[in-house]
Amino acid sequence: MVEFRNVSMSYDKGSDVLKDISFKLEPGSMHFLTGPSGAGKTSLLKLMYLAHRPSRGEIIMFGQDVSKASRTELPKLRRRIGVVFQDFRLLDHMSAVENVALPLRIAGGSGPQINEHVEELLRWVGLDDRMNANPSTLSGGEKQRVAIARAVIRRPDILLADEPTGNVDPEMGERLMYLFVELNKLGTTIVIATHDTGLVEKIGASKLHLEGGNLLHIEGTMNDFEEES
Amino acid sequence: MSKSFDFLPHVKSREATKLLPWVMAIMVYLSALAATGSLLLHSGFDDWANSLQGRVTVQIIGEDRDLIHLQALEIKEVLRKTPGIRSVRIIPDDEITALLEPWLGVGNITDDLPIPMMLDVETDVDSYVNLEALEAKVKQVTDTVYLDDHARWLSHFYTLAYTIEYTALGILIMILLASISIVIFGTKSSMAEHKNIIEIMHLMGAHDQMIAQAYQKRFMQYGLKGGFYGLIIALLTVYGLLNLVQNIAGGLVEMPSLPYLKLSILLIFPFIFAALAMMTARITVLRELGRMV
Ligand SMILES: Nc1ncnc2c1ncn2[C@@H]1O[C@H](COP(=O)(O)OP(=O)(O)OP(=O)(O)O)[C@@H](O)[C@H]1O
Ligand SMILES: [Mg+2]
Repeated sequence: MVEFRNVSMSYDKGSDVLKDISFKLEPGSMHFLTGPSGAGKTSLLKLMYLAHRPSRGEIIMFGQDVSKASRTELPKLRRRIGVVFQDFRLLDHMSAVENVALPLRIAGGSGPQINEHVEELLRWVGLDDRMNANPSTLSGGEKQRVAIARAVIRRPDILLADEPTGNVDPEMGERLMYLFVELNKLGTTIVIATHDTGLVEKIGASKLHLEGGNLLHIEGTMNDFEEES
Repeated sequence: MSKSFDFLPHVKSREATKLLPWVMAIMVYLSALAATGSLLLHSGFDDWANSLQGRVTVQIIGEDRDLIHLQALEIKEVLRKTPGIRSVRIIPDDEITALLEPWLGVGNITDDLPIPMMLDVETDVDSYVNLEALEAKVKQVTDTVYLDDHARWLSHFYTLAYTIEYTALGILIMILLASISIVIFGTKSSMAEHKNIIEIMHLMGAHDQMIAQAYQKRFMQYGLKGGFYGLIIALLTVYGLLNLVQNIAGGLVEMPSLPYLKLSILLIFPFIFAALAMMTARITVLRELGRMV
């Protein structure tokens, strides 16, 4: 599903923040991306959600080298990827419902069935009473849940989440992880960048560990999280 | 493909683009005035020049009123027998006096003022009358007769009128260029302001077209809204100015009749500016986006 071949990346022709990275993620697999702050987790995800191009190497996704995809090809590819940004990146002039509906509307959807679908998902993440709230009035944890709902609403082929449980209590954290695991069972390939080692241990999915822009090791297999939770 | 989707926030008071409808109003106002001036001048001048064409004025100068009066009658006869001349009329003294009064003042025209005799000659518009031959002919009656077909000083007026007209056209083009620049400026500033939103839209798979559409729609509205108000104020201004001129200059100068049909072209100005704003915004957005990842 995702294959990196000797990928390096830098910002604005600076020094490499990712160095010669190679790995391969099978379709339908689930992975944690760990490493200290500044290791390059967000940068690696940016390459995968096509916000940045590598300075060297190839990135194979959906059977093509996306690092060389033309601008006109990008929207089609991006619509197959769901992203939870570390800083949420919700649109402040839209309500929670409108934010979550955004990927559907961008894909050309309209009408009441969109909203039904969106509201259902927001209820599921426990935001029944904050549906029409403006993101700026939401707590960090609430924003995070809206961001997650927006990332999964279109049932993407790949879900990339950057610290998706950083702002919620452990209980909600587990609930959201359960959502990811469920989505993974439906066939979505998932990569979650996190500092939460406890959660990583609990789910025990394979681990990509970054340190100083180098990929150190890939380890672990998926535990049966569902039974534990 | 991608449906139109207005994802941009509603304009808040602090946004730079809030000023755009105002700018558009001013631009449409100025260009409407420039166009009106050009049109009025054009049609007014044409009317007037046409009324002078096919006319020759004969002037007989002399101290002796009776003598030049006789000479005038004689010349009238000569002219009447000349082919290509439709009518000859001796302009009565009181008509000349009336023409001079606004310049010299009522009652200042005394008998000892050497007022010339004048003949108004109408020539066939189709047949060409050789002015020099005609002058040679009437000079046989007296040396102090002068013919004028207004061609020379009309040509000066033509030059002046065309200069003013082309200047107005130049002003119009400059206003259009300024408007385009302002729309580019506004689009870029708005894009910088909403950079974050545009980035999110992109990352969620929005095509450049969708983003361009939201902008072009918004700028078209600015153009229409501003242009509409600008046009109304321009029409009021033109109406007011013409009334004022008519009151002041009534009688002295013949006012050109308003070319209403031609002036109705002003009605499409807001649409022209709206279309211009729309296209400029679209091109600007697509070009800016082309520079992104
Ligand atoms: N936009 C940017 N421009 C320049 N340098 C950047 C930019 N974003 C990140 N960096 C640098 O790239 C390196 C990796 O940053 P990155 O955000 O990928 O780390 P991270 O692993 O996600 O950290 P954290 O756990 O704190 O989120 C850091 O040294 C950072 O300073
Ligand atoms: Mg990060």
